[in-house]
Amino acid sequence: MPTKNLVETHNLTKQYGKIHCVNAVNMQVPTGAIYGFLGPNGAGKSTTLKMILGLARPTEGSITLFGTPVIGKNRMRLLTQTGSLIESPSYYGHLTGEENLRIIQTLKNCAEKDIDEVLKIVRLSEARKKLVNHYSLGMKQRLGLAAALLGFPKLLILDEPTNGLDPAGIQEMRELICTLPPRYGITVIVSSHLLSEIDQMADHVGIIRKGELVYQNTLESLHAHSKEQIALRVNHTAIALDLLRQDGIEATVESGYLLLPMAEDAYVANLCRLLIAQNISLYRIEKREKSLEDIFLSLTGKESSL
Amino acid sequence: MITLRMEFQKIRRKKIALTMCALICVQFAWLLWSGSHPDESGRLQGWIEMLHSLPLVSVIMMPTIMSVLASRLADVEHKGNTYKLLNTLRRPGELYHAKVICGLCFILAISAAQFIFVIVLGYARDYAGHPEWNYYAKAFVLNLACCLSLYLLQLLLSMLFFNQMIPLVVGIGGSMLGLILMYIKMYSFLPWGGFLSSAQVRMDWNPETRVIHFYYREYSTLELCAVFMIFVWIVVFYTVGRILFKRKEV
Repeated sequence: MPTKNLVETHNLTKQYGKIHCVNAVNMQVPTGAIYGFLGPNGAGKSTTLKMILGLARPTEGSITLFGTPVIGKNRMRLLTQTGSLIESPSYYGHLTGEENLRIIQTLKNCAEKDIDEVLKIVRLSEARKKLVNHYSLGMKQRLGLAAALLGFPKLLILDEPTNGLDPAGIQEMRELICTLPPRYGITVIVSSHLLSEIDQMADHVGIIRKGELVYQNTLESLHAHSKEQIALRVNHTAIALDLLRQDGIEATVESGYLLLPMAEDAYVANLCRLLIAQNISLYRIEKREKSLEDIFLSLTGKESSL
Repeated sequence: MITLRMEFQKIRRKKIALTMCALICVQFAWLLWSGSHPDESGRLQGWIEMLHSLPLVSVIMMPTIMSVLASRLADVEHKGNTYKLLNTLRRPGELYHAKVICGLCFILAISAAQFIFVIVLGYARDYAGHPEWNYYAKAFVLNLACCLSLYLLQLLLSMLFFNQMIPLVVGIGGSMLGLILMYIKMYSFLPWGGFLSSAQVRMDWNPETRVIHFYYREYSTLELCAVFMIFVWIVVFYTVGRILFKRKEV
């Protein structure tokens, strides 16, 4: 039976001195998902991912990979089923792309034919004989992804994979990531500080703020948080507000607009009739939606960068 | 074994062997220059004189050569930020071993080249008799041990510091320190003094007759401790390096 959650962390904590870089994070990454790990710069995304990969030691807490708790002895065995690209690609600049992949392929102990396949996936087949020092940043990033894909692991951990890429490169990388779960059955954890990026790639999302996981669910459910409202602009806002309240309608005033909960068309029509009957001029009726950005900011704090 | 094989793959095109050859050639030039026109007495003491010259050459050259070697091997990882990838593929301890053994292969080659050159040079200069193989074998092992202790120290520094100037300065400083310590005779227990404290040949110069006489010395207890210290340094640097490398978070 496949494991429900491929990755689980339990109270995962990392402390540097007195500072909690990651604080009691309980992450749950379902099998086959693209899990968007979202948070402002310095929120603790990379540290969390590094702890999952065993590159940083947790101060507290535990990690379960593929249903097995990670301990010192089984760490390497479990990591053979993962691929990673943390912060920036790792490469030997004085070697060709193919030679770089051959080193990783040998260390991963996977099939040699995988090299051709991953080069094809990341569209680097033609540049395979070129020294990596002569690659562009986007090519290096794609080589990093190719190295992570070698052996077609069950889990792929990508930390800000679009960093430093131009818009076309970002789009290309995004499309590539989206194809991985359906084509190869790979579960992907992808971190970013850009909400729009995660919105276009992920189906599950975890939002981290100052080391704490403040939200974790499906992206769909995050979208459901976007509350729809009706905004009315009238000539006498205060009188209109009284009228609506007398009628038992919950309304608030914001920036000169009356804000009402979302309602049926017929109800809105009645509302308009009521206001006009009281000699109130109705200038505008708008549908308002709380954007994902608003939700993100309300979860992570407005002072955080996007 | 795979990790070690990959270590050699990684340094392709880095011309480490060429760099080592260039540095070794400086040693060869020095040895060629010293006693280039031996007289009868020089030919009689030629083999033993070579064993006297070798540690002197090594104490000056080897700390720098070892720092260059360790720096070149560690720098390939620093430049490409590869530890964060390698540490997910192999245990850090295994990666450290591979670096140590890879460096040891170079040290073996350097030491062998040094001794082969000395022997060929001796025969070319028509030194009397043959080398005393037991002393030459001991000198080879002690030279190797001294180089290894310095290499382990340099590897430790090169792996810990991203900026390779720090270990290189330590290496060059070590060469200078070895030279200074040689004159003030306080070299015995320091890693850079190992070449001289383990030297088997001493020189006796008579100011009146101006005759140089080389002889094999007997180690005193303190001198034996100094030789033993070389192996202590190997264990210390290896252990500390391994622990620090394993603990290092990337």
